[in-house]
Amino acid sequence: MQYWINHNGVQSGPVDIDGLKDLALTSRAYVWHEGMTDWVKITEVPELQGLYEVVADDAEVETPPIPPVEPVAQEPQPEAAVPEEAVVGTPYRSAEPQGEAAIQQPQQAVWPQDGSAAAPVQPAAKCPPTNLAWAIFSTICCCLPAGVVSIIYAVKVTNKFNAGDIEGAERASEISAWWCIASFVLGIISLPFGYLLPLLGAE
Amino acid sequence: MRRSLLLVVAGLVMLVLGFIYYALDPSTSDAFPRCSFLSLTGYKCPGCGGQRAVHALLNGDVAGAFRFNALLMIAVPWMGLCLFAESRRTRNPRLYARLNPELLMSLFLALTLSWWLLRNIFDW
Repeated sequence: MQYWINHNGVQSGPVDIDGLKDLALTSRAYVWHEGMTDWVKITEVPELQGLYEVVADDAEVETPPIPPVEPVAQEPQPEAAVPEEAVVGTPYRSAEPQGEAAIQQPQQAVWPQDGSAAAPVQPAAKCPPTNLAWAIFSTICCCLPAGVVSIIYAVKVTNKFNAGDIEGAERASEISAWWCIASFVLGIISLPFGYLLPLLGAE
Repeated sequence: MRRSLLLVVAGLVMLVLGFIYYALDPSTSDAFPRCSFLSLTGYKCPGCGGQRAVHALLNGDVAGAFRFNALLMIAVPWMGLCLFAESRRTRNPRLYARLNPELLMSLFLALTLSWWLLRNIFDW
């Protein structure tokens, strides 16, 4: 069995179970092997127990694992059409040192080329955050007009991403976030008026 | 580490605010801000009644909460779900994608705007 490792954001593999012992892994490592649908923590793989050092587990959100790159020859599968994202923005291959074709060669040879194996299929790019929750909050609780613009741009993020316009989606995501912040700021500015205006009206 | 600190602070703020909104009634107390939009124009904004709705909800009066601001009662669980999906996005990208389709987001925008209009017409 060949294993792929993602340890503190650094990906390595494929190695066999003996090679794993040389990697000085900790319990923060993620593992993938053929037949798995996604990365799992090394602590959850029964046959690898005792092959890692147990450390405090705060790395789960800080350094999410990078999925293995999909085989070059593989047909796009239906899931790829869903606007999901690769786990981390850059595809795995771009994290490789530039011009190291020799390193990539064995990797492609090892990877199943027939597409029958359940290699995790990941779209090339990650949909930027839509900021939807915050946009809704700012619309209802802070400043309505700015919040509405924020929701409109949140919709545009998904819209542009689905159309294949990654750059446009990222721009829309940023604009959406800024309008959301503007809505928060305007809401805070208007807060004193919430106390003052009723007093003036009561006169 | 920074993230968990942020979560703790946010949790504490929520707890304090939650207690204030539980203990004091915005309908009668002067401790709460009034809606500036309502004061200036005489029309309700989509968030009007939100503070009273939260007070009612924290005191177990779900029907009252819906009467004060139905939109907020729909939006809060959805926002919670969206934030949860956002935080679990790396582990569960499918949930995030399900919650963020264009149609659903556009529908919510339309819902907010029609809610704003209709509540001023029918005095909801």
